Amino acid sequence: MSHAMTAQISRRTLLAASSVLAMPAIVRAQDSTIKIGFPVPLTGPYGTEAKDQVACAQIAIAEFNEAGGLGGRKAELLVRDDKLDPGEAATRTLELIENDRVSFIAGSLSASVQLAINNVAKQRGILFNSISQSDQIVALPDWSKTTFHEAMTPYLTAGAVGRYAFKNFGKKVVFLRADYAYGNEMIDGFKAAGAPMGIEVLADLRHPLGTTDYSTLLPRIQSLKPDILVLANFGRDQQISIKQATDFGLKKTTKIVAPILLYTSRLAAGAQAFEGVIGGTSYYWGIEANTPSAKAFNDKYRKANENRVPSDYGALGYAGVRSILAGVTRAGSTDTAKVVAAMEGLKYDSYKGAQEIRSCDHQSVQSVFIIESKSKDMANQYDVFNVLATDAANAENLRSCKDEGHA
Amino acid sequence: MLPPNFVATCKRHRVVLSIAFLIVFPLLMPFKAIAVNILIYGLFALGFNLMFGTLGLLSFGHAALFGAGAYACGIAIVHFGAPWWAGILGGTLGGMAIAALIGALAIRTRGIYFAMVTLALSQCVYFLAYQATAWTGGENGLRGVELSRIAAFGHSINFVDPLTRYYVVAFFVALALFILSRILASPFGAVLEAVRENEARARACGYDVRATRFMAFVISGGFCGLAGALQALHLSIVPIETLYYQTSGLVVMMALLGGMGTFFGPFVGAGVFLLLENLVSLWTVHWQLFVGAAFVACVLFFPRGIWGTLLMGRAK
Repeated sequence: MSHAMTAQISRRTLLAASSVLAMPAIVRAQDSTIKIGFPVPLTGPYGTEAKDQVACAQIAIAEFNEAGGLGGRKAELLVRDDKLDPGEAATRTLELIENDRVSFIAGSLSASVQLAINNVAKQRGILFNSISQSDQIVALPDWSKTTFHEAMTPYLTAGAVGRYAFKNFGKKVVFLRADYAYGNEMIDGFKAAGAPMGIEVLADLRHPLGTTDYSTLLPRIQSLKPDILVLANFGRDQQISIKQATDFGLKKTTKIVAPILLYTSRLAAGAQAFEGVIGGTSYYWGIEANTPSAKAFNDKYRKANENRVPSDYGALGYAGVRSILAGVTRAGSTDTAKVVAAMEGLKYDSYKGAQEIRSCDHQSVQSVFIIESKSKDMANQYDVFNVLATDAANAENLRSCKDEGHA
Repeated sequence: MLPPNFVATCKRHRVVLSIAFLIVFPLLMPFKAIAVNILIYGLFALGFNLMFGTLGLLSFGHAALFGAGAYACGIAIVHFGAPWWAGILGGTLGGMAIAALIGALAIRTRGIYFAMVTLALSQCVYFLAYQATAWTGGENGLRGVELSRIAAFGHSINFVDPLTRYYVVAFFVALALFILSRILASPFGAVLEAVRENEARARACGYDVRATRFMAFVISGGFCGLAGALQALHLSIVPIETLYYQTSGLVVMMALLGGMGTFFGPFVGAGVFLLLENLVSLWTVHWQLFVGAAFVACVLFFPRGIWGTLLMGRAK
């Protein structure tokens, strides 16, 4: 009798427990998590940068959750591999929106991929914060009310580097670009910055993407005796062209300038090839000496990643997710329209000093660091650049909203 | 036990069975967008298989036909504000037009030469699209192929809804399957196989081999162009990668994986490949290793492709 009774009670308790405890838990899990989709190219040539972006984005998520989330609602990052392919990125974005029901999307690491994600997200009214460079994404017709751009634009980057280089190293310039969107947009930016300074363009040369031999171009450049050689190419092209220019002895007479010096490329290529090359960057961990927010961010990264330091593009992963969550906190809601309104004009200091989201095109107004690669006096293995100058955050340095087609 | 004429019945009603499968298919997939992708690549592989499996000519330039369809549809909608049906029609015709152009130049060659000439010509199309930035968006791809609602016969349906989008695409795929089935069952289909089996004998029987090949290439272009147009509408963009030679390689792989020369094999190949790629890449960044190993295993254990080997087993 008592035996049967115990069995009955325990069964009943079990049922009660499952219905009372489990059911609301399921409902709560579905409703309350703030999901942020994060498509980045984990496989492919930018895999190193993409993995760092994920590591940094997770720090932003952890920060938000430790601070109590949005009234107890936690944030969650859904990472997807876009394989550096716009078609795959569009498919993954559809999956994130339709299947995983994300509230927001941040990510991407190429111009075409971010435009693909943006196109899918804007059609469905989902907020997207891009963390890679593009001029088009903040201009019409690609831009939409739900499009945000955390990264710098090529126009801003090239302008900042150009103003510094033309002032300090001379006005006689040779341009050498990889013949595709990145090279073309960067050179346009250099020319726009150089025109009022009266630069003299000795030659404007192009090479196909993926060139391995620059020996036909370099003697010609050498004979022109420019003050500055602007190399608007990226990744492996940049490594090879700089190395060959060094071997030709071009550095004796000419300053080599690149719009972007990647921290990860510099680590991979070694000190000698990049010695003395000038470039721009959105972030370098070394600014922590006089930027408290950078110090705080670096420390969190070090703690989570075996004392390493964050890379430039990696840090953008942190900033991209953090801006969205700052918008969520400010709006007190995850409703897209409210978060958009909260992010417009948002002033913040996430990791690199003061930034502001320009209301008219949702571009993050931010500083650009002019850095020089060094091979001597390195404090540790991560100490690879000197920060020569900081081009302060100023909306004047961006393309005007009118030029971008905004009313 | 299955009735003895079960396989024969299935073969006779292959279109009906395929359509029945298409209807339940999205319920079996992890998410709808991948189901649509499988249909689109399946259709693309189907068009390719007409050349490769049925006619016996290996083309390495089918990306040009697929991409031409996608760009024709995209450009019609973005630059000319064309309605959705005109985009699909334009894509199909665009695929056929590029196929006619490439076919006219490539069809006189055979074997490895045919593969090389089609590859070279498709790369020409790629660089043409790459340079014509004003029309194609160049390296950034064509954006803004946004289709939110489809109006037909007085009804307006929501194309943004994932399941609706799937069934709209499935409708066109089913239509293509029906047309292909009729083509293969026609005397023209028999001529295609005759040319594949013995070119000299087909010629001796009085068939114009070159014209047959040209016709087949243009029809193949129609199917691939339709697939491209559907992809443009599905993804709302046309990436330049659509025209790249890797896309040509992808469709060869899908057709081989599924089973060349089988009716439904291309869909099986596209499905297995895309599912593997998507599911494995969710839990490891080394997905290429596993997908590669799976491909090697398929080649070793299913020499006639997955579907082809299954059919062989049934026939015994």
